[in-house]
Order: sequence, then structure tokens, then C-alpha cells
Amino acid sequence: MKNLKLSASRPDGARTVIDVGGVKLGGDFVVIAGPCSVESEEQTLRTAEAVAAAGAKMLRGGAFKPRTSPYAFQGLGLKGLKILEKARRETGLPVVTEVVDTRDVSWVGEYADVLQIGARNMQNFSLLREAGRSGKPILLKRGMHSTLEEWLNCAEYILAEGNGQVFLCERGIRTFETYTRNTLDLSMVPAVKAESHLPVFVDPSHGTGILGMIEPMSLAAVAAGADGLEIEVHCDPSSALSDKDQQLTPAAFALLMDKLRRLRAFMGELG
Amino acid sequence: MNLEDLRKDIDGLDARILALLNERMEKAILTRRFKDALADPGREAAVIEKVRRQSRCLIDPEFSTGLYRSIIEQSKALQAKGLRTIGFQGEHGAYSEMAARSWGPDAAAIPCREFVDVFDAVESGLFDFGIVPVENTLGGLVGPVNSILVYTGLRIVAAVDMGISHCLLAVPGSDHREIRTVISHSQALAQCRRFLARNKLDPEPFYDTAGAARELSQTRAKGTAAIASRFAAELYDLEIIKEAIQDSENNRTRFFVLARDGAASQEGSKGSAVFSAEGDKAGALYGVLEIFARRGINLTRIESVPDKPGDYAIFIDFEGSRGDARVVEALAEAQRTARDFRLLGFYDEARV
Repeated sequence: MKNLKLSASRPDGARTVIDVGGVKLGGDFVVIAGPCSVESEEQTLRTAEAVAAAGAKMLRGGAFKPRTSPYAFQGLGLKGLKILEKARRETGLPVVTEVVDTRDVSWVGEYADVLQIGARNMQNFSLLREAGRSGKPILLKRGMHSTLEEWLNCAEYILAEGNGQVFLCERGIRTFETYTRNTLDLSMVPAVKAESHLPVFVDPSHGTGILGMIEPMSLAAVAAGADGLEIEVHCDPSSALSDKDQQLTPAAFALLMDKLRRLRAFMGELG
Repeated sequence: MNLEDLRKDIDGLDARILALLNERMEKAILTRRFKDALADPGREAAVIEKVRRQSRCLIDPEFSTGLYRSIIEQSKALQAKGLRTIGFQGEHGAYSEMAARSWGPDAAAIPCREFVDVFDAVESGLFDFGIVPVENTLGGLVGPVNSILVYTGLRIVAAVDMGISHCLLAVPGSDHREIRTVISHSQALAQCRRFLARNKLDPEPFYDTAGAARELSQTRAKGTAAIASRFAAELYDLEIIKEAIQDSENNRTRFFVLARDGAASQEGSKGSAVFSAEGDKAGALYGVLEIFARRGINLTRIESVPDKPGDYAIFIDFEGSRGDARVVEALAEAQRTARDFRLLGFYDEARV
């Protein structure tokens, strides 16, 4: 691939490891979990405590939501960021949250440990530049219509601002298949590993949009060599204000975490 | 202008009326120092008469005089409580006032314009106590205060070591992304320099942190925020955009509570003194340090403040109480050998 000056694999094979408050992205296997949206303090804290107890290493939660419809819940904004900060204080989990507007980048950076650029904004170049300048670790999700080359070029925008703390997340792409919300393209995990030194995560929640498929695809992602997972968990999914059908209950998440641990142990034996 | 605008204006006026009423109560408490009896029927009648005369436009004299009768009753009730008063520099909501409240939650904290006003009012007997900041972990010595401490006849009766957490405050309901200018005391702005730079905010010095919060709450200037305490946010009904915005976590200020000699207890596990060093400065300093070192008395602070040209005043804080024989001996010896050696007081220090 051309013009990947900063994101392409290094000759010595060295891979990027990002330290976020002691959590080593690209070093340790990391599960990021939490609700799709921050809806209230109680919902966020309850979910955060549950995912921390189950072994998640980072908390996700949206305060600014890029919704398909302008009439859908848009997120709590600044109030949501304050709730996330409180959840971090109480659980110790670093916080990942999405930023959708260049004007929010510095403010979100004041509250969150990692800024997420969502699939819909993957090619929002001014947002990428602004995120790069924030100096914060950036989670760059794959655009739903993007090729690997386009994706890595977007990472390049952030890296070119002097911010080396970028990690990627495959979250499914648009295909002719409509059975699943998106087609989770797990082949991207070894593809990213071959072409780039950046850590690569998988989001089986958006990748499938189907509750029963989150566990098998999480296990498949681990088998494919993903550096981590981003999974939506809600303390009471049936009452969720967004992505009601793809958020795991804390109990289901705990069972999944247990299976992931056993699979990882087995993968270790395989070498 | 719509209903919402009008109500916002009314809310702002109510906040000012209450702040003025509080200031009136403060003055009323202080008058107690100058009169023997609580009630002064002549003065009360004069106040009511003046209010009646000044009632105009929509203010019915019956309404205003009734209101004032109840204000006067409340003033007398407060006077009867015999609240202790403590002066601080700045406006209500200042960090000094927070420190004063942590030291004496039931004392009436009264604002003063300058540090010297705090000292003067305690010396004259107008206030029972004064509280002043002496040093900050980031900003160093509070120069103007230490210069006054060199000569003051007041005693240190307590110390408060308080963590300073600056908050970015904005008018409730405003969009924080439109903030461009941040007003606050220059020291607070300096302590949040990196935060301001990250968010592309222009600092604009103001004489006081709490004053900046009050100014913002009254002018409701667009695109403007203030840096002040969480306490100031509550007092002036501002929204906290972000707490703890200071660049360094280790931001603490140490305050001294002062009183007239003999007016308050001198019990405590810490002491402070000041002496002068001129000519042989190394010798003067060494002589005093040696007196304390020889007796195994730990010094917790040694600071010098420029005094007359070429001279320095040296402050020392030491561990020990006035009943401690070693301390008594050391002080006696220091008084004999050091120039202008003066004990500033024994006290306990609280960390909050």
C-alpha cells in the first residue's frame, strides 16, 4: 500500500503498544465494555461496576451519539461526560467515548482517556486532524464502506499530527447481506497485522447487531488474533435508549468473558 | 424579550438582592461592637422613616416599611447570637473564605478589599479573627501577607492547609464550546495555563477568583467563563463545566488565622516566629537554626522575605508547644541573640 508513511508495518516488526493508565493496548488482550449511550448516572455506574467485575479493562459509553435519525436520542453531551468521569473514579476503568464534532475534541479529551472516532466519521478529515492534535489515544473504527487502505490512510491523518497513539477497530461493513446489521469482516484482523503496526480490535456488537451472534464472533475474533474487543453491555438492555437489541446483559457478558479467558489459554498452548 | 428572558433577569436581581441583604446583615453584626444594648429604638425609627421616604414608583411605603421591620428583627436576632467574626481578603466565594469556614463553620466570614484591611480590622477590634494565605505549593510565598506579618502585633491562633481545586464556571445553560475568554485571578489563571491552552481559551486577569465568578453571574457575558472554587459556583449559581482543572494536582495553600494577643488560645503543637537578618546574614540565620537544632526541635518552614533594602525578615515554623521546656529555652535564647526575634504564636494546623 502506498503513502502509508507512519502506519505501515515496520521493517523490524515492532508493534505499537499504547499505555492508557496502565492498560496496554496492543500488549495485553483488552476488553472494552459498557453501554451504547450514557443515559443516566445510575445506568452508567451500574453497568461500569458490572463490566469491571467481569474483567473488562476499559469502559465505553457514548455521550455524543451519531444517530441515523436526527430525532433519535443524541446523547447527554457534557452531562454524559461528567457521568463517565464519575464512573472512572468509582471503578478505576479508563474511559473511551466517541467524539463527533471538532468543537468537542478538546473538551471530550478533558474527561475521557481515549477518544473514539466512529465509523460514520472515519473519513471526517478535519475531525481526524483535530483528534490527532489532542494528543489523546484514538480508537479509529472502520468506516462501513471503507477499504483497508482507506482506513489506514485515516489513521495516517492522526499519526501525521504527531500522535502515535492510534488503534483500530473492525466493526462490520455494508454488503448485500441484510440478515446481520453489518458484515463483520474478521479477515481484517490478520490483514491489519500484515500491513500495519497498529493494534486492532473487533466490535462484534455493531458488527452483527444480533445478540446471539456476539459471543461466537467474539470468540472468532480472538481466534483470528485481535488485540481486544469492544462490546456493548447495558445493565438493563430492554430499557436502553439506543441499540436495544445488541447490548448484552451483565450476566451474559460475564459468561462470555469466562469463555474468552479459556479460549485465550488454549490459544496460548497452540503458540 | 420573552417570558424566559424576563425570568432570567428576575433571577439575577434576586441573587443581587440576597447578596446585598447578606452584606447588610454583616454590617449589622459589626455594629454590635460599638453599642451596649441590642435594641436602639431611635436608630430603628430613623431607618424606617428613611425607607418610607425613599419608597417610590411601585414600592408601597406600607410594604417597604413592613419588609424593613422584619429585616431589623432578623438583624437583632443575628446580633443576639454573638457570632464570632473572621475577616478574609476577596469576595464571598474566595478560597480564603472556604478556609475560614473549615476552621470555624459557625463564624461569620466577612470580606475585605485588601490584606491590610484584614489585619487592621482585627487589630482595631472590629473583627475577632482574620484569615490570610501565607504560601502556596505552586505560587510560593504570598508576598504582601508575609510583609505585613513581619510587623503585625497579631497572634497566629490556627493554621489551615487546604487543597485548591479550581473549577471552570459558566452561566447555566450556555454552550461551553462557545467559551473563548476566561476571567480569574492571575495566579489561578497561571495554575491552569495548560488547561487553557489545550482548550484554546484566552486568560483575562481579574482581581479575585470569586470576584470573577460574581462578575460573570451578573454580566452573563457571552463566550466567557470564570475560574473559581466549587463554593463560588454554588454561591453565584454558575454551572461547573470542569472540576480540578489545575495543571498540577499538588496545589495547596496554607492559611494563618490571626487574633489579637490574648484574645484566643495559644495551645497547639506548632509555633511560628520571625526575626531580622542584616549584615552577617549567614551568621544570623545559622545562630537561630543552631539554637533549635541543638535542642532537637524540628523546623517545618524557613522563609525569607525582603524587608528594608539589604535586610531580610526570616520566618520559621517549628514543632512544639509553649509548655515544652526545650521550646521555652530555645525561644528565650533566640530572643537574646537574634535581632528583633518575635514569637508569632502557637497553634494547631488542620489539613483539609
